[in-house]
Amino acid sequence: MHTILQVLSFYGTTMMIPVVFAGVAWGIIGGALPGISPSITMALLIPFTYTMSPTLAIVLLASTYVGAEYGGSVPAILINTPGTNSAAATTLDGYQMKLQGRAAEAIGISLYSGVIGSFVGIAIVVLLTQPLARMALLFTPPAYFSLGILGLSVIASLSGGSVLKALIAGVLGLMIATIGTDPISGVSRFTFGMSDLLSGIKPILIMVGLFAVSELFLQSSGAAWVKAEEGASRVRFPNARMRRRLIRPQFIGSVIGAFEGIMPGAGGTIAAFLAYNEAHRWSRHKDEFGKGSPEGVAAPETANGTVACTTLIPMLSFGIPGSNSSAVLLGGMLIHGLIPGPQLLQESPRVILGLYSGMAIAPVVLVILGVVMLPLCIWMVNRPQHYLMAFIYALIVSGVYSVDQSLFDVGIVLAAGLVGFAMRLFAMPFLPMVLGLVLGYMVESSFRRSLVLSGDDYHIFLQDPISLAFLGLAAIFVGGALLAPLLKLLWPKTTQTRSVSDGAAKNGEL
Amino acid sequence: MLRKCLVSVALALALCGPPAVAQEAYPVKVVKLLTHSSPGSGSDIFLRNLSNYLGPIMHVSFVVENITGGGGAKAVAALAKSPPDGSVFYATTPTYVFTSLLSHPEHTYKDVEPLVNVFTDQEVIFTRADSPFKTLADVMKTAKESRGKWGASTPGSLERQALERLKKAAGVNAAVVTHDGGGDLLIDVLNGTVDIGVGEYGELKPQLDGGKVRVLAVFSANRLDAAPDIPTVKESGYDVVVRKFRGLAGPKGLPDNVIKAWEDGIQKVLQDPGYKKEYTSDVLTPDYIGHDDYVAFVNQFGSDTEAFFKETGVIK
Repeated sequence: MHTILQVLSFYGTTMMIPVVFAGVAWGIIGGALPGISPSITMALLIPFTYTMSPTLAIVLLASTYVGAEYGGSVPAILINTPGTNSAAATTLDGYQMKLQGRAAEAIGISLYSGVIGSFVGIAIVVLLTQPLARMALLFTPPAYFSLGILGLSVIASLSGGSVLKALIAGVLGLMIATIGTDPISGVSRFTFGMSDLLSGIKPILIMVGLFAVSELFLQSSGAAWVKAEEGASRVRFPNARMRRRLIRPQFIGSVIGAFEGIMPGAGGTIAAFLAYNEAHRWSRHKDEFGKGSPEGVAAPETANGTVACTTLIPMLSFGIPGSNSSAVLLGGMLIHGLIPGPQLLQESPRVILGLYSGMAIAPVVLVILGVVMLPLCIWMVNRPQHYLMAFIYALIVSGVYSVDQSLFDVGIVLAAGLVGFAMRLFAMPFLPMVLGLVLGYMVESSFRRSLVLSGDDYHIFLQDPISLAFLGLAAIFVGGALLAPLLKLLWPKTTQTRSVSDGAAKNGEL
Repeated sequence: MLRKCLVSVALALALCGPPAVAQEAYPVKVVKLLTHSSPGSGSDIFLRNLSNYLGPIMHVSFVVENITGGGGAKAVAALAKSPPDGSVFYATTPTYVFTSLLSHPEHTYKDVEPLVNVFTDQEVIFTRADSPFKTLADVMKTAKESRGKWGASTPGSLERQALERLKKAAGVNAAVVTHDGGGDLLIDVLNGTVDIGVGEYGELKPQLDGGKVRVLAVFSANRLDAAPDIPTVKESGYDVVVRKFRGLAGPKGLPDNVIKAWEDGIQKVLQDPGYKKEYTSDVLTPDYIGHDDYVAFVNQFGSDTEAFFKETGVIK
């Protein structure tokens, strides 16, 4: 009862509801623009959250994510170009439906399914985050070290691409994490006498550079996208019969979305393709798939909606970002002095409750804005690319500068953009680098703190039960990734469906 | 945004008419107070509370500006480059001395002038409520017999210095485990990873009220008014006293009338009943140090800290 009153007080006394509207609206716009992923959309907002209260700031970012996951499906359906990576699966049947003149229906199904997915996702977040994080007090320095190692081991299991490239990216991230004041002794490292570097490089600057700036560099060298035809500027929601038919793919989508969201490193793109595959497998209308099946739109969009929420679980309860978007959210929390992980739920329960309250109304807002903003999305998709790019570029530079009035930070973002551009050219994934960057500090400081505690006895990592469990899991992750090629030989059929999603995921992560 | 509006309203009010005072007016109408801490944390709250009560006393408008980053080096640099006309000051804490020593920035604590001290934060030794340690003597017994584990916050913190000095004074070989901050340390104290921790009494208040931790000793020279039953470290037999100061500094070459105005203003504001109520609830102890003594105090603190850093191998 008390909790309910607190939630209501959030709605009544704070800017919560307007903030959710702003976040979802911005998310839909960012998601609808091809090339602007949810993580970029969120990264662009970060500087504006600086003066907000921490609760509103993370609510804004989380609702942006929810909006972006839906926004991405609009160009996927209308011009066969996914606005976000995870909407790639939606193009398969969504565009077919559009060709049959059922664009309004496809967008309606996408919106309806996204909202269902979000609700399921939020319920799972509320149910699982607290119990997981209640273990906070059990976490000793060796356990934190092993948790960090578990997070880093995700690099090995990231699907698609070369493990070598992922490792290089991961090490780059770890290297950047060592800049600044030594966590145990207090000595300055790699600061070259620059006081700007004393407190290290803020992960968010690197992320904005990697995701957003490098994307701009890339876009400026590419061709413009196809124009969307006018005409489908309103949404048609599915009728009762269709809603019944969609229950099955939506169930599949939300289960897969929940699972993939909780598993660090999996992310929305894989979830969407898996959901599409499974919805196909279990459908009564298999033949319609690929030719404009409503179920083919509903399953991936439900999965996307669910992942957008459940990806918060590993981030909130352990501080491990499972996707680019949750890494940006984590960066946004860090600049407000909130350190995601077991401690957060103990120290700032109000912030978490606020986040839940904000997310609970995000799907409702999504329904409203999804309908209202569709014409705007179509208009945006049709603007000449160079104007958009110039606008976003100005937004990034002024936004980053406004946080600390520091040109040094702007320089770091631009440098990170160049690094990101080079990494794109070499097809190196970004997530390992972000993981290294975010987890490097925790791994190092906990490792050395444990050794100070134990008097340089390395057994401390095996004596702590939680630490041992995490190290074991990490070993399974790494071992599993090494065994995967072997499994592919044994089950060629699964490999085929899997490789579709792998390929998409690989591009998705970029 | 709201803050900016309030500032401009205050500014407008201040410019409306000259205050009706007999004494010599402060040379400037608007004073900028810099801090390296971000909005809502330590020094920022200190400055904002102070300016609320000091504004009417000194008849000036205060504007708090947060210059974060570089562990205070940026804010100190901004201060050092400002004109010494009484229009810009900076909130001092041990941090600005530590940063000066650790990272050798272009402008150090020696390039600015300590003005006056206002408060001391009380550093205490605490342990978890259900721990076997009832007194500081119990802690020392464990440290002598086996190997004590003592937790401090960041490596360059005053808390770490306090523990290293205590370790030396007691002649024990306890492991002094540094953390990323107070919250981090608290978890390790609560789950028993470390025997004791050192922290500010005011910051521990929620845990104390919740019965989660127990305070064993205080590092101040005298017992705390808020907790008169807790012995000091010194009376427990270890000659260690720690003073976490909170005051102000200005650019070098401050005119005498400015210094005088601040000395009077701070002494007056510490007597203000409204302010008194506010800082008592934050468990801040008023610790006024006049300008001349404060310069000597900060310089002494600087050289002590430098010696400590060299001894522990943090700097060469």
